[in-house]
Amino acid sequence: MRQYITRRLIQMIPILIGVSILLFCILQMAPGDILSANVNPHMTAEIKQELRHQMHLDQPAYVQYFYWMKGVVKGDFGDSYYFKQPVTTVIKTYIWNSFILSLVSFILSVIISIPIGVVSATRQYSKFDYFFTVVALIGISIPAFYFGLLLIKWFAVDLHAFPVSGMSTPGTNLRGIGAAGDTLYHMFLPCLVLTLGSVAELMRYTRSSMLEVIKQDYIKTARAKGLKEKVVIYKHALRNAMIPVVTIFGMWLPSLFSGAILTESIFNWPGIGPIELLAVNNRDYPLLMGINLILALLTLLGNLLADITYALIDPRIRLK
Amino acid sequence: MTEDLLSVRDLRTYFPTEDGLVKAVDGISFKIKKGEMVGIVGESGCGKSMTAMSILRLIDPPGKIESGEILFDGVNLTKLKETEIQKIRGGSISIIFQEPMTSLNPVFTIGEQIEEAIMLHQGLDKEKAREAAVKMLNTVGIPRADEVVDEYPHELSGGMRQRAMIAMAISCNPKLLIADEPTTALDVTIQAQILELMKDLQNRLGSSVMLITHDLGVIAEMASYVIVMYAGKIVEEAEVTELFKHAKHPYTMGLLQSKPVIVKDEDRLKSIPGQVPNPLHMPKGCYFHPRCEFATDKCRESQPQLKEVCEGHKAACWLYEGAM
Amino acid sequence: MEAKTSEEVKLSEEGIMSPWRLAWRRLKRDKLAMLGLYILAFMVLISVIGPLLSPYTMEEMDLSNIQSPPSFKHPLGTDEVGRDEMTRLFYAGRISLSVGLFAVVISTVIGSALGGIAGYYGGFVDTLIMRIVDIFMSFPFLPLLITIAAVMSDWKVPPQYRMFVVMLLIGVLSWPSLTRIVRGQILSLREQEFMQAAEALGIRDKSKIFRHLLPNTYASIIVSATLGLGGAILTESSLSFLGLGVTPPTPSWGQMIQVARDVYTLQTQPWLWVPPGICIFLTVMAINLFGDGLRDALDPRLNR
Repeated sequence: MRQYITRRLIQMIPILIGVSILLFCILQMAPGDILSANVNPHMTAEIKQELRHQMHLDQPAYVQYFYWMKGVVKGDFGDSYYFKQPVTTVIKTYIWNSFILSLVSFILSVIISIPIGVVSATRQYSKFDYFFTVVALIGISIPAFYFGLLLIKWFAVDLHAFPVSGMSTPGTNLRGIGAAGDTLYHMFLPCLVLTLGSVAELMRYTRSSMLEVIKQDYIKTARAKGLKEKVVIYKHALRNAMIPVVTIFGMWLPSLFSGAILTESIFNWPGIGPIELLAVNNRDYPLLMGINLILALLTLLGNLLADITYALIDPRIRLK
Repeated sequence: MTEDLLSVRDLRTYFPTEDGLVKAVDGISFKIKKGEMVGIVGESGCGKSMTAMSILRLIDPPGKIESGEILFDGVNLTKLKETEIQKIRGGSISIIFQEPMTSLNPVFTIGEQIEEAIMLHQGLDKEKAREAAVKMLNTVGIPRADEVVDEYPHELSGGMRQRAMIAMAISCNPKLLIADEPTTALDVTIQAQILELMKDLQNRLGSSVMLITHDLGVIAEMASYVIVMYAGKIVEEAEVTELFKHAKHPYTMGLLQSKPVIVKDEDRLKSIPGQVPNPLHMPKGCYFHPRCEFATDKCRESQPQLKEVCEGHKAACWLYEGAM
Repeated sequence: MEAKTSEEVKLSEEGIMSPWRLAWRRLKRDKLAMLGLYILAFMVLISVIGPLLSPYTMEEMDLSNIQSPPSFKHPLGTDEVGRDEMTRLFYAGRISLSVGLFAVVISTVIGSALGGIAGYYGGFVDTLIMRIVDIFMSFPFLPLLITIAAVMSDWKVPPQYRMFVVMLLIGVLSWPSLTRIVRGQILSLREQEFMQAAEALGIRDKSKIFRHLLPNTYASIIVSATLGLGGAILTESSLSFLGLGVTPPTPSWGQMIQVARDVYTLQTQPWLWVPPGICIFLTVMAINLFGDGLRDALDPRLNR
């Protein structure tokens, strides 16, 4: 197992390099650079030229890439043009906000979806099943941002039940439980939006995985042994059905950090999502490169985690 | 006279489908005595597996046992509640299936799966159940039983898995063991070993066996009494030597003739013309008549009943009307 | 010969049906799937015919009537320069639907071709293609899309061509998952006996891939493409909502929802942003209903 992990980690390196090259090329395709967009009157052409030279912007692409990678390897992603701070600092500040929002969503989704998915599968074609199938269908068909807007309109604006935006009520200076409560209050609507999307997908996936498993011969055997139906479903079938489902969780790991760009920006939740939009709109390349590279790394780690989990819980893979 | 262990009377198991009603088991009656090995033979789709599943009440909805009685040790299985039949499944009646590769749960060890049955039906604790499981694995001839008990199904070969299935099935000393095509999916050499094992176990444990297969050779080797099924009905039944020597029903005769004999010199293999009828469009009269070289008008009109044709030998065919 | 019942006659006259016809029959029986199909057809219809039936054009500005609520003259009201919302909705439908459609076509063609080649040839080609797939799939989809879209914006692509850029963008970023699916299928099909038979007959490589292997993957490809269409439409709407997809004056459903970013409009002028969202929802839902039904119909292992 250790060998496997090491091998996979090593395999990730060329992929990450490929990713960084791809990213760099994409950004190089944009005309001009941060300085050409700057219309500060104090910035004379000479100063701009000087700055350009300092930032290596007058060098050919591959040289710029080299300088950048040199920094990355040391953990220095350069400075954000917009925030005038190291990229790593910027990311660190905001990424955890995305994380809590996504984490709470994730936990809620799991708690809701899996039992419903299992029961849906065991009562296929029943009213219960149809109802939740429809709910799931709606969940994956409605654009997340649209749903968010609807929620804001109904609950925040019309009913004043929840805050329209932000992570904390402005002007207050709460501590401890009060602060936590305030955060939760603000978290409610955006969480709802995120949860709907993932619940829908997870429910469907669990249901179809369960249905597949129930058709298997070994379930027939379990029944023929005289086991109660409950045991057959919740012990024999569920263990097998969960294998593919759990591996999805690993793939969701990156999205825990990448933030739900749309949802966060609609609710003005200070996560990595709006920051990314900011970086994009302001052509803040170091920040963009940093965010995308970190996200790519997380995706790869997520895949690795998914594969490891798969190996841990499926004995057929484990012992290879 | 040995007592009857199992007595099936006019069992009908029907499946409603979108295209019509499928009569998988269409009014069959037979008996299995204590300690007897009865073979049920027929082509795919003739209802033999459905009969087995009906006995254990494992028919998936929307199919159901429409009518009939299944008397096991004096109890009518069709009238039992679900909790009661669960006690019998795996306990007094167990079944082994055709596909050893997929019939065991891949995420549990062999030991865990056998122990589960033992703990359920015999109430032993985990430790004692494990001992019993190892003993069972030994009985079925699996080497290194104490290691295998902790292994997973995918680590064993097909033959070993089938032995493990058998171990699981006999772990609670069933009075009746149903074997549904137990060797069909295995190599010929392994087949022979499994069959030997089954015969050996039957002698030792004294259980009755209901052996379902489409292979006449297996029947000849193993069974003492044979029931031939076609299209959901029993068409002939007799003691094994009697059946092979003096088959009465044209279908049985066709089956026996179509088995290639290596020493004989033949130009063409004899086969029964035509095909098994579509369960949704059964022929009128005798189900077999479209393929029967002896068919008469009476055969096309009405169905023959299963009647005794000579001592201990029954057949459902108009050829023997008025014989006894 | 005995007389056949009328049912027997009907069955034998229909003859042996190909798997496609069997699937189509099954599909027709699936009421939900057919409902999806009808709704989808309806959405396509209003997008294509709607603009022709409307008394207004997309750009026609009625400056005396700006930001008016729904009325008899303008069933969905007007926007901030007096353009009729309903007409814009229909035109936007054309854009959203065609972007989605072409994006899916692009990704399907690339994805299945590459998947087929990777699966068939194996070895170096396979590794190369799958590495590229890995690189693409390492990016979370939306961040990458947004980054590229921003770069595209900088190229100052005129608005009327942005639509095509977006199509290409979504298409080019969506092919990797299909490649994996197709490759997996090809790998398992390759070993099956009918391929050995093809080999024994000496059939050429290209023929083997395109005439023997790929047709067996059509079912998965079709299902994946259908469901991908829904995803493409959602993606386009998200991009346009953020201002990075289709930009004004070209309308798209997602882009029309952008007005809701202003709290005032959100609260007081729901007729401007709610209908486009409903359109997206209905269309994607219809696609999913139909796609699910399609998948069930094409799955030969299904039993009910």
